[in-house]
Formats: sequence, C-alpha cells, structure tokens
Amino acid sequence: MKTIISLKNVEKYFNSLHALKNITFDVNEGEFVSIIGPSGCGKTTLLKIIGGLTNFSKGSVTIESGSVESALQGRKFGFVFQKPVLLPWRNVLENIQLPLEILDRRNASEIPSKLLKIVGLEKFENFYPNELSGGMQQRVSIARALSFGPSILLMDEPFGSLDEITRDRLNLELLRIWREESSTISSITFVTHSVPESVFMSDKVIVLSARPGAVQQIVDIDLPRPRTSEIKYSKKYLELVQCIRKILK
Amino acid sequence: MYKKNIKIKLKRTLTPVFVSLGVLVIWEFIVSITNYPEYLLPRPIVIFSALIANFNSLLYHTGITLFEAMVGFVIANILAFFIAVIFTHSKTIEAGFHPFVIALQTTPIIAMAPLLVLWFGSDIGSKIAAAALVSFFPTIVNGVKGLETIDEEALDLFKSFSATRRQIFAKLRLPNSLPFFFQALKTSAALSVIGAIVGEFVGANRGIGYIILTSTYHMETVKMFTAIIMSAVAGMLFFGIVSIIEKKIVFWQKF
Ligand SMILES: Nc1ncnc2c1ncn2[C@@H]1O[C@H](COP(=O)(O)OP(=O)(O)OP(=O)(O)O)[C@@H](O)[C@H]1O
Ligand SMILES: [Mg+2]
Repeated sequence: MKTIISLKNVEKYFNSLHALKNITFDVNEGEFVSIIGPSGCGKTTLLKIIGGLTNFSKGSVTIESGSVESALQGRKFGFVFQKPVLLPWRNVLENIQLPLEILDRRNASEIPSKLLKIVGLEKFENFYPNELSGGMQQRVSIARALSFGPSILLMDEPFGSLDEITRDRLNLELLRIWREESSTISSITFVTHSVPESVFMSDKVIVLSARPGAVQQIVDIDLPRPRTSEIKYSKKYLELVQCIRKILK
Repeated sequence: MYKKNIKIKLKRTLTPVFVSLGVLVIWEFIVSITNYPEYLLPRPIVIFSALIANFNSLLYHTGITLFEAMVGFVIANILAFFIAVIFTHSKTIEAGFHPFVIALQTTPIIAMAPLLVLWFGSDIGSKIAAAALVSFFPTIVNGVKGLETIDEEALDLFKSFSATRRQIFAKLRLPNSLPFFFQALKTSAALSVIGAIVGEFVGANRGIGYIILTSTYHMETVKMFTAIIMSAVAGMLFFGIVSIIEKKIVFWQKF
C-alpha cells in the first residue's frame, strides 16, 4: 500500500504554547482517516501543517514521499474548511471555477457543471452564496475543492455546523463522491468533533489528547464498505463508538 | 405577504413626506402670525416662489458647483485608490506617509482654501482642488482597511491553490474591498460638494457658494435660502448617484 501522508514526530509551538506533541501517523492510498479530539487540541493546526498552510517546529512531514511544498505547488491538496468560505460576489458556478481560473485551466469548462450534478446543485449554478442554506454552501465548497483534480482531500469539520439530518446525508454523499469513477481523490483526512461520524466514515481514527495534542491511540475501523446507514445499528459499530468515547474520556 | 411589503414601503416613504410638510406648515404659520422680519426668516411659500422664479439661474450655479465637486471627487478617488493599493503593498511606505495623511486630513479645508486659490487660480481649478482635498481621505482610510480586512480562511483557501500575490489581489482583496470603498465614496460624495462650496466662498463669480455669499452681502435672505436648498439638493443628488452605483456593483452586500 502506498503511503500518501506521513508524519514523524511532528511538534508545533505557537511561541510558548505547545500545540502539538510528537505526532506520528500515516495516511495510505485509498484510506479515509479521521482526526478526533477535544476542542483546542490542535486538529485544525495539524490539518494545516499537512496541507502546507502552517509551518511546524520539529519533525518531518512527507507527502507521496516528497515535501509538503512541492505537493502544494503541484496542487495536490483540496481543502474544505469548517466554514464554506465562498466568495459572496461569485455565484455557485463561479465559485467552483475559482481554482480552475487560478490554475489557468479555464478550458476545463465541463468540470464545474459535472461537479454541480455530483453534489446535487445543478439547478443552483446561478445562485449566490447568500441565497443558499448552510448545507448547500458546504456542498459548493466540496465541489470547489474537487474541481481542479487534487489527490488529497483535507477536510476540517466540514459538516460541524450542520444539523444532524443534513450531516448524515452529506456524509453518505461524500463517501459516494469519493467512490465515483471520475474521482481523483486517493485519500481523505477528515477532522471531526463527532465520534459516530468518525466511526461511520473512516478506515482509521486518530484520537488526539487535550493540549498539547498528542496521538493517544489509533483505532482501526474494520467495518465493511460501502457504508450504509444500516451499519449504525451493527454491534461492531456501536462497540467502536464506545471504544473511542472511552479513550476520549 | 406581498401586500404587507407594499404597505411598509409606502409607510417608509410617506412618513418623512408628512413630517416635512408638517414642519413647513408650522413654520409658515408661526412666521406669519408673529410678523417675523423676512430678512431673518422668510416664509416657506416666499422661498418656494423665489425658487421657481429663479430656477434657471439657480440650476446653472448648482450645475457649476456639482461639476467642480464631481471632477474633484473623481480625481481624488482615483488617486486615493492607487495610494491605498500602494499602502497595502508596503507597510514601510504606509508608516512613512501615515502622519502626513493624518495632518493633512485634520487641517480644516477652510484654512487651506485661500492657498488653493493662490495655486490654482480663482476659477474652477481651486474649487476642484478643494473638493478633491476633502474627498480624498475617507477613501484612502477605508480603502486600506478594505484591502486588508480579509478572512484568514479565505487567504488559506487561496494559498491552498498556490495562488500568486497578484491573483490574491485581483480575485480576493480587490472585490473584498469594494463595500469599504463605496462606504467611503458615499461620504466623499457629500464632502466634495462642501469642498467646492468652501472653495467658492474664498473667491468666485459663479457657483452656489458664490450665490450664498453675495446674497449675504445684499441681505437677500430669500435668495440665500433658495441657494442653501439647492446646495442640499446637489449633495443629496450626488450621494444618491453613488448609492445607486453601489447597489449595482456591491450587489452581494445587504443594505
Ligand atoms: N495562529 C495561532 N497563533 C497562536 N496560537 C494559535 C494559533 N492557531 C491556533 N492556536 C492555538 O493552538 C491551539 C490549537 O488550535 P486549533 O485551532 O488547531 O485547535 P482545534 O483542535 O482545531 O480546535 P477546535 O476543535 O475548537 O476547532 C489552541 O490552543 C489555539 O489557541
Ligand atoms: Mg479547529
């Protein structure tokens, strides 16, 4: 199995604040890995370190056996932030086109409309962000992250501000999009607050301790794929949820 | 629902109309029963008949003032925009020029106006300069703020695409700053009319400021009132034009 993301003994200080301590883990090809931990333990910081948006103080991070910078320059990362961060002066279609414009790939005009269909917003391409619900906005931001064909999807509590019904539906949709034939995504690293969500989505859950954030345990989720809502009633699922809850206590 | 909206809109436009009418009626009434001298406070009816009688001449002078204000406004704001861009690109330049900007901004325009006449002549040049000088500062201050106040996460988003500085400027900073710019443009539209009138006070042979000044000399209070009304109309007109353009360009902003 190919290793996509590899962190070794990563430390992060914000001046005197020790944010992350001795972080070591891998994300492999085809894996969905969740990072879970108490508020303020450094999940966002960790994701930004992986994606090259924040530097780290010690240790090493390699992306597909190269440096973070070269992966960033090679546009390998698709980021989905906690907030949708849509540009209010651009409509849905134009927001999805933004990365293509920046990469000067404007000729790839069939991609945005294809993505709109995949995220179920084909009727809304001319709508402006302030005319959409929170769930729809987050779908646009996912489509935007996928539009330029990155191989590594980094998501920071993408559904954290949504109600449970919307969140469950988007979880299933994300798994479906990931499995689409046209999908370029080889791995997803997913930050979440929710234990059930992490179990339902992942192959591996990385449990962080409170500040300084350190890897407390890595829990393998050996539930079958494709995941369906019925899995949530299985004994295995419930055991895994309970197991992670105990670690977090 | 629809009907209710119309009702609210009607209420919003009609209330000020009724209030103003009420004020005018009371004014008319009090002045006529107290026999207050006309050279101090003329009756509204007298003012309005003078306004209509001299409308063409007033329109001409208002047009002059508005022209000076608009030319000064355009020059100042183009300049202010580029300076704001330079300031956001270089903190050193901003720090160096900041005290200068503040000093110039806090110097009253009335104190500078004679100097402007000396430099730009007693024709419209000095009035345009006065209008430009006052409408310059809101834009530069707000412009810098607008170009710099960006969401940390939006910046991260652009970094994740490996966007260049120029792309970040064109696709994020610039559109993001537009609401701030228009906020300033509305203020400076009103200020530029004031600047032009102040410029006219110092020395002019036309313009609404000239009318106000000469009518004081001749104790023509009625004429003065008509000129004051026209200057208010000019200011509101300019403000209104900028507001309409704002709503078109900054359409995503809730007003
Ligand atoms: N730019 C920064 N400068 C200084 N300290 C920071 C910075 N960013 C984060 N921190 C600190 O680092 C710690 C971890 O922050 P981070 O945002 O990564 O946590 P988190 O796990 O994502 O929290 P949450 O669950 O609330 O999103 C916090 O104590 C925070 O105050
Ligand atoms: Mg966070």
